[in-house]
Amino acid sequence: MHETFYDVMRRQGITRRSFLKFCSLTAAALGLGPSFAPKIAEAMETKPRIPVLWLHGLECTCCSESFIRSAHPLAKDVILSMISLDYDDTIMAAAGHQAEAIIQETIDKYDGNYLLACEGNPPLNQEGMSCIIAGKPYLEQLQHAAAHCKAIISWGSCASWGCVQAARPNPTQAVPIHKAPGMPNNKPIIKVPGCPPIAEVMTAVITYLVTFDRFPELDRQGRPKMFYSQRIHDKCYRRPHFDAGQFVESFDDEGARKGYCLYKVGCKGPTTYNACSTVRWNGGLSFPIQSGHPCFGCSEDGFWDKGGFYDRLTDIKGFGVESNADKIGGAAALVVGAAAATHAAASAVKRARHKGGDE
Amino acid sequence: MATLRTPNGFDLDTSGKRVVVDPVTRIEGHMRCEVNVDEDNIIRNAVSTGTMWRGLEVILKGRDPRDAWAFTQRICGVCTGTHALTSVRAVEDALGIDIPENANSIRNIMQLSLQVHDHLVHFYHLHALDWVNPVNALKADPKATSALQQQVSPRHAKSSPGYFRDIQNRLKKFVESGQLGPFKNGYWTNPAYLLPPEADLMAVTHYLEALDFQKEIMTTRTIFGGKDTHPNWLVGGVPCAINIDGDQAVGAPITMDRLNYVSSIIDRSIEFIENVYIPDLIAIAGFYKSWLYGGGLSSQSLMSYGDIPDRANDYSPENLMMPRGAIVDGKLTEIHEIDLRDPDQIQEFVPHSWYAYADEAKGLHPWDGVTEPNYALGDNLIGTSTNIVNIDENAKYSWIKAPRWRGHAMEVGPLARYVIGYMQGHEEIKDQVDRTLSALDVPIDALFSTLGRTAARGLEAQWAAQKQRYFMDKMIANIKAGDSTTANTEKFDPSTWPTEVKGVGFTEAPRGALAHWIKIKDTRIDNYQCVVPTTWNGSPRDNDGNIGAFEASLLNTKVERADEPVEILRTLHSFDPCLACSTH
Amino acid sequence: MTIDATGQEVPETSETLDHGTASHKEEAVYIYEAPVRIWHWVNALCILVLGITGYFIGSPPPSIGGEASSSFLFGWIRYLHFAAGYILTVAFLFRIYWAFVGNKHAKQIFLPPVWRGSFWRELFHEVEWYAMIVREPLKYAGHNPLATLVMHVLFVWCIVFMILTGFALYGEGTGMGSWQYEMFSSWIIPLFGQSQDVHTWHHLGLWVIVCFVIIHVYAAVREDIMSRQSIMSSMFSGWRTFRDDKPVADE
Ligand code: HEM
Ligand code: HEM
Ligand code: NFV
Ligand code: SF4
Ligand code: SF4
Ligand code: F3S
Ligand SMILES: [Mg+2]
Repeated sequence: MHETFYDVMRRQGITRRSFLKFCSLTAAALGLGPSFAPKIAEAMETKPRIPVLWLHGLECTCCSESFIRSAHPLAKDVILSMISLDYDDTIMAAAGHQAEAIIQETIDKYDGNYLLACEGNPPLNQEGMSCIIAGKPYLEQLQHAAAHCKAIISWGSCASWGCVQAARPNPTQAVPIHKAPGMPNNKPIIKVPGCPPIAEVMTAVITYLVTFDRFPELDRQGRPKMFYSQRIHDKCYRRPHFDAGQFVESFDDEGARKGYCLYKVGCKGPTTYNACSTVRWNGGLSFPIQSGHPCFGCSEDGFWDKGGFYDRLTDIKGFGVESNADKIGGAAALVVGAAAATHAAASAVKRARHKGGDE
Repeated sequence: MATLRTPNGFDLDTSGKRVVVDPVTRIEGHMRCEVNVDEDNIIRNAVSTGTMWRGLEVILKGRDPRDAWAFTQRICGVCTGTHALTSVRAVEDALGIDIPENANSIRNIMQLSLQVHDHLVHFYHLHALDWVNPVNALKADPKATSALQQQVSPRHAKSSPGYFRDIQNRLKKFVESGQLGPFKNGYWTNPAYLLPPEADLMAVTHYLEALDFQKEIMTTRTIFGGKDTHPNWLVGGVPCAINIDGDQAVGAPITMDRLNYVSSIIDRSIEFIENVYIPDLIAIAGFYKSWLYGGGLSSQSLMSYGDIPDRANDYSPENLMMPRGAIVDGKLTEIHEIDLRDPDQIQEFVPHSWYAYADEAKGLHPWDGVTEPNYALGDNLIGTSTNIVNIDENAKYSWIKAPRWRGHAMEVGPLARYVIGYMQGHEEIKDQVDRTLSALDVPIDALFSTLGRTAARGLEAQWAAQKQRYFMDKMIANIKAGDSTTANTEKFDPSTWPTEVKGVGFTEAPRGALAHWIKIKDTRIDNYQCVVPTTWNGSPRDNDGNIGAFEASLLNTKVERADEPVEILRTLHSFDPCLACSTH
Repeated sequence: MTIDATGQEVPETSETLDHGTASHKEEAVYIYEAPVRIWHWVNALCILVLGITGYFIGSPPPSIGGEASSSFLFGWIRYLHFAAGYILTVAFLFRIYWAFVGNKHAKQIFLPPVWRGSFWRELFHEVEWYAMIVREPLKYAGHNPLATLVMHVLFVWCIVFMILTGFALYGEGTGMGSWQYEMFSSWIIPLFGQSQDVHTWHHLGLWVIVCFVIIHVYAAVREDIMSRQSIMSSMFSGWRTFRDDKPVADE
């Protein structure tokens, strides 16, 4: 018999009442109306756990670390009751060949019916051996597990975009999951970017998949709209200060102590699609801006390579130098202006000479 | 083949059966281990390989030094924060920036909460399954478990028989469902597991309790740094401005209610460590105290840079609350001072690492460090370059460099700190260690073991939890005295910087001594080198054949079943290996 | 036959004239119809506003104090930018429409005849004139080839670029589901990589336009003084007058 989420919660001494409360909290976390709570409850009362293979490539494991910080639902309940986390080298008991055997066992038993959760990404340089699993390139493990899965979740900016190891000059030629060579092209991929993503966003994505048995609506780039359709800036609590023109000019100045807008110290909230200003972090406690640091856009593609984090105007890379639009454009305008002035002077001289010569 | 004696005194014999563990799991990142076991199932040779590399040192070149903390923080999401702190210290050292007292207190609280969190999660979620058998817990009598719980930790509230019965039932259903999840293919019939079912059930219960509680510990970092993992830092101080009762205080990062929040988290962390972690540690260790393997370098060569400056900006040993010093050649009472700037003290070697130096006979001090990948394998490799069956440790065999202190391979980490602190007569440490040794009724030599490492980590978590309170009080007193400054931005603007400077920053990361060396030229990073705890512990061999701490610790261990690597995992895990860190 | 703004019939010069051979006294030519002239100045004003407000969006003025609700400075800067952006866009669409219905000069900046050898020869001549190698430029009723090309590339395409990127950024504010987002942001942002890149390139566009304006105004003033036809006054009156009776190259 498969144990359901509800069974487990009941046995834990949780009353039906608080189980239903949990369901409505989950519905709220998913951005769904209260009418969805019964649906979630029903799904959790009847469904067996879906097998998940959670692979790690080049990464820092902070997506996993973020995941275990989920408050609603608790990571414990996700792992014990919603999914069957059959492979995750960070927490699994087995090691070596006993661990590797699980991948094949899962494929044999659940072909086409398990989720592939990817944290980190595969490198292509160094024969792929700057990330080795069981003596072989990680890419091979990834390709094999991907070929038989039901769908892929790309956790974090590493799996979604490439992240820090793919920052210039990308010495290992790390590529995001959807760009890895030899991946099946018929498996849906859901990107959950962020460095790391918010814990409650991660667990909500899983809850959604388990509850509704389908993918949430994705945007053009494959991110769930429910969490990534708005910018930090759109719902930032410091937004009134932005509109008023009240900015932190330097850290710990008067504006910083009053919670003014961090735009001038480089805040990328206006260009960053993530749920930090709404869901916030660690059970809704804070988010970078609330604690006084500008957002540096950690859920955006290539955010490491846009220039200094404390600069409002970010860099354009080209011609072997880095510079922002004002520096490049200002210089160009200066050159053009100077050229026009010189040309004007030359024209005047010429004209004067001409007149002299003609007359 | 005859045995070979390494310069640091270990005998290696490659004649026995080669056993491979790849991946080594329940660690951060990717690692491989190969050992040779003799006919008595005793490990006679050990080879540890770091199997990932990302090239952060290469990526950092040419960037804005003020951003380096964010890049280096991504070296690891487990010891998140410690690299960032090390990085801002390196930049501040290079530029001569002093930080305000409040910033020092906040940084210390964040760093200490990392120690508490990282140690707790390591003990329960990465290490426990080496000692605890969850399947065996099904046989436990909940009543007896309750009695055991009340005996080992009378103050822990969750101790009723009904509570344990519920957990046991949940576990039973879980196991019976046939979907074992993370416990799948574990070594549950291996005789290496020694706990009685009641202790197993108690520990599994706390595995779950700790999983719930750990997310509270780090919320101090969420308040000060905006999120966790990967909180935010700032060169010159901390980004979180304090506004206790000034104008528009309510929008400020740090307000009275936030301080209260931090305060209550600190109290609860102390409580959990005291009532759950430490009692479990003593209880479990009690059943394994005859398993004394895994000492390795710990009685020979140990090192700690020290950390947690009491007053801001003073990094002298006297001002550091975590011990500093180096021990070599097993002379425990002789503690050497460390100079991170001295080109002759710390050097990194690469003859057995997948990097190229112009002259690989020499080591390089990190300020002159070079990181150039060179994936190459030895002639005695079995397999191919993309399908390694057995590695050739006589050639290059790891992505980890081999750092050495005055030529010595060193062990770093909680045990190193505790041994050094104990030898220096650090009162709090001495008291903790002595109490533990007497509770277990074992001699001081028991420290130099796998269990010693695990115990030191727990004691350090306890110490760190309490020290958070000290800095919280200190900060409150400082604010009361009228100082709520959190950042010094005088030299934040790169146009105020000299054209060429260099600096070094250090911390004691959860896994040990960590330092970053930076060279800044024309406001950009000219060279950035990190030498990380797991780089020390997991280092491959050096030019002279000295083996590192991981390899040393595995030698002479008896394994119950050569194809079930519980003992190997146990000892490797006692270091809490972090491979993303080690190679970065 | 062309009708000017006042309804008068304007005599057009013969298309068959072989320039450089025949010689006859030119009359004034009506080239810029009123809609073009009005558009020109509305457009210039919009660009002035967009440039200044855009610059401040990138680098805001010093922070002001007081309650957030008592001020909307940055909000106004952005509002002005968006309002001017809309006007510029509508005016530009109108200008495209006028290229179809207006006189032949109205088409020039949109369709430089790059397929014609003579266009490039004359353009080269114009370059030589600016390089002060030849003593005299050719004489044009409309834009000279060099001006046409510069306006086509640095103005027309740049404005198209600014409108596309501007609306892509604007759509981020109106949000997914809005027509601005669906028509612009949804594909333009991924095309550039991410939102920050769109900002950067949109910002760079400001400087392309600044460069264009410098060149444009300088050339207009210079031509007015040194060439053989009226320039500045033409954009007010619509009429091109000539200082000599040499043949007109484009008529
Ligand atoms: C933002 C500033 C400006 C922009 C973007 C701009 C743009 C343009 C464009 C696109 C045309 C071609 C009109 C057409 O054929 O449709 C044009 C023509 C013209 N503009 Fe401007 N203009 C600007 C400012 C000015 C100013 C300040 C002056 C006066 C000094 C001026 C004088 C003229 C003249 C005289 C022409 C006709 C040129 C000719 O006959 O070859 N413009 N301008
Ligand atoms: C000549 C035309 C234009 C110029 C010179 C111009 C210039 C600028 C500049 C310099 C910025 C600041 C970019 C940054 O650093 O982030 C900006 C932002 C912006 N522009 Fe334009 N722009 C033009 C046309 C438009 C148009 C047609 C629109 C469409 C409505 C538009 C909408 C925007 C928006 C939405 C922003 C971002 C505002 C914000 O992030 O708060 N712009 N513009
Ligand atoms: N080794 C290491 Fe770390 C630690 N502790 C860092 O410095 O783990 Ni990720
Ligand atoms: S996305 Fe960021 S946080 Fe997640 S693993 Fe990658 S580097 Fe770490
Ligand atoms: S702090 Fe950042 S996200 Fe918030 S309003 Fe200012 S610019 Fe926008
Ligand atoms: S830096 Fe990342 S955590 Fe959120 S506020 Fe910005 S996306
Ligand atoms: Mg290094």
